[in-house]
Amino acid sequence: MSESGESDIEWIFYKDRPEWRDVIPVPENDGPNPVVVIAHSEKFEDVYDYFRAVLQNNEKSERVLQLTKDAVELNAANYTVWQYRREILKALGTDLRPELDYVESVIKQTPKNYQVWHHRRVLVEWLRDPSQELELTCDALLQDPKNYHAWQHRQWAIKTFGLYDKEMQFVENLLKEDVRNNSAWNQRYFIVNNHLGWSDLNVQREICFAMEKIKFVKNNESAWNYLRGVLLHDKRGISGNAVVTSFCEELYKNKCRSPHLLSFIIDICDEAIKKGESSSFHGPDRAIELCQALCTKYDKIRCKYWNYISEKFKKVKREQEEQKKQDEADEK
Amino acid sequence: MSYEEGTHLAHRQHVKYFMRFLNILPSSLSSHDTTRVTIAYFSVSGLDVLGSITSVSLELRSRIIEWIYFLQVHPNKSNGDMSSCGFQGSSTINIDLDEANSHYKCGHLAMTYTGLCILLALGDDLSRINRKALVAGVKALQTPEGNFSATLSGCESDMRFVYCAACISYILDDWSGFNIPKATEYILKSINYDFGIAQCPELESHGGTTYCALATLSLTKQLDKLSEEQVEGLKRWLLFRQVDGFQGRPNKSVDTCYSFWVGASLKILDALHMSNYGNNKKYVYETQDCVVGGFSKWPDTCTDPMHTYLGLAGLSLIGENGLLEIVPTLNITNRAFEHLKAIHRNWANES
Repeated sequence: MSESGESDIEWIFYKDRPEWRDVIPVPENDGPNPVVVIAHSEKFEDVYDYFRAVLQNNEKSERVLQLTKDAVELNAANYTVWQYRREILKALGTDLRPELDYVESVIKQTPKNYQVWHHRRVLVEWLRDPSQELELTCDALLQDPKNYHAWQHRQWAIKTFGLYDKEMQFVENLLKEDVRNNSAWNQRYFIVNNHLGWSDLNVQREICFAMEKIKFVKNNESAWNYLRGVLLHDKRGISGNAVVTSFCEELYKNKCRSPHLLSFIIDICDEAIKKGESSSFHGPDRAIELCQALCTKYDKIRCKYWNYISEKFKKVKREQEEQKKQDEADEK
Repeated sequence: MSYEEGTHLAHRQHVKYFMRFLNILPSSLSSHDTTRVTIAYFSVSGLDVLGSITSVSLELRSRIIEWIYFLQVHPNKSNGDMSSCGFQGSSTINIDLDEANSHYKCGHLAMTYTGLCILLALGDDLSRINRKALVAGVKALQTPEGNFSATLSGCESDMRFVYCAACISYILDDWSGFNIPKATEYILKSINYDFGIAQCPELESHGGTTYCALATLSLTKQLDKLSEEQVEGLKRWLLFRQVDGFQGRPNKSVDTCYSFWVGASLKILDALHMSNYGNNKKYVYETQDCVVGGFSKWPDTCTDPMHTYLGLAGLSLIGENGLLEIVPTLNITNRAFEHLKAIHRNWANES
């Protein structure tokens, strides 16, 4: 009957509470043709009948605050209940500190619910106090290190209140725990991009960091993507940084055939060609050969994609050959 | 083509599955109380993809249509304000409210979008839609950043609702409530260093939000605002989401719904043909419940209407037999889309 089990043994329906006798419950009006009807429990109907009634009466009181708690417990995704709760908190001038604790407890029960995180954010905005947000999101991320809601809230708090100081350490710990945690890599980029800045020194440091992690787990897309992202801030691009290119060639020489390595070398070739710096090592032939290897052996699932990339290089090669013939003819 | 065991569509079971959800749901689904319209959308659109709209009785079809119209929020009677207009997701707050609380009875962009899709799939002519009001309702929800909130009554804003707002504007053939340059700017800002697109700027790239962003750019005819580097980067990021089925983010588990979100994104970029259909199909079928119908996100877990619909829609994108074609941007069948085009022609003649 009830949603929350044993704790409800003592549950008294609102309709049976003497202190609520002055309120006439308002049943749901689902019209004459309802479909997708949810067979709510009696408790659910009772609580929401009274919620509709107080909303209609515009009652803002302590007892309604309690009613919204019951309504949230039955459906934490009801954004109207949360919004009305906020209006009551404001109207009554309620101390918001206990409310932070309350919403934290709801977040712990439903950490992937948009409404609870929104409520939290509004409270923090009202209080202008983000002092608990890093810990709160840290707890949520311990449960699920990729919880999108928790990351979104954390980034918002950090950005709004400038809480960058210990964030790098936090990210490093997460990556120590799981070097494939893409959310953590994203957060690392977020910190450098917003706080540390892409100075030459920082770019080089981040490149080294990514390379270290790739050495550790070579087929880790997150680390490769990060490396590529950092190189967006290196004037020399991905083909002109000798540390990076020799790192890749070293891996290749040591028989690493991760699709991420091979596609990275293909991108080096592509950039070198576009810059007019193509060589026999980083030119169309090498790229075509790598596409072929990916298609037939190392990344068969994306075979058609690698053929598509290969076609682009074949076109470049034809153009280069035409040009060469043209140049030779001109010389004669 | 020979079919491996377990890779056939349990067509009849899925029809029954959706019919059950259209009818009555257990109290364990109470947390979906405010979003019942989306469940109706997954079910009706699911039946449509299965080519089985006709197996819904005329009586039930008309009941669904009436119910959706019943959830339409009309302009404020006393002052004509239209900022709350749209569809509610259920009747939870279907009450008369005085001026102070009138904003609580308001449309929700995801419900307006899916409500319109239901009407289209069921062949309604949208004649009882207050188009002007719905467009005003959309307009009221765009934020200065360019994205959209879901509702007027205290709600987060992100890429999901940019997409819903774009679909509504497209279906109503009226973009006056949608600032296209602002929304485009927001989308471009949400492109990440790995070329995937996030829920908001600087957040992690995500298959679902990448879909919302690309579908919006397509519906608003702004795909050309992406540079060649961004388009090629997106193609690669999306194709790399394929493991056997598709995942939503790098190094996360594969999930049936991304066969649609990522598949449709690739289709919008004309790159779906470069993915591996066989592996994709095999994964989606591993999540099929052949006995009672439905698909789940992972093999041997609980089915739900969303994953069932998106599993079917994902299979439809790769041309699976027995399924109607899907329009990747609006996420409705081509059949429903043709019906929409006829409605647009009528509207054009009227004006």
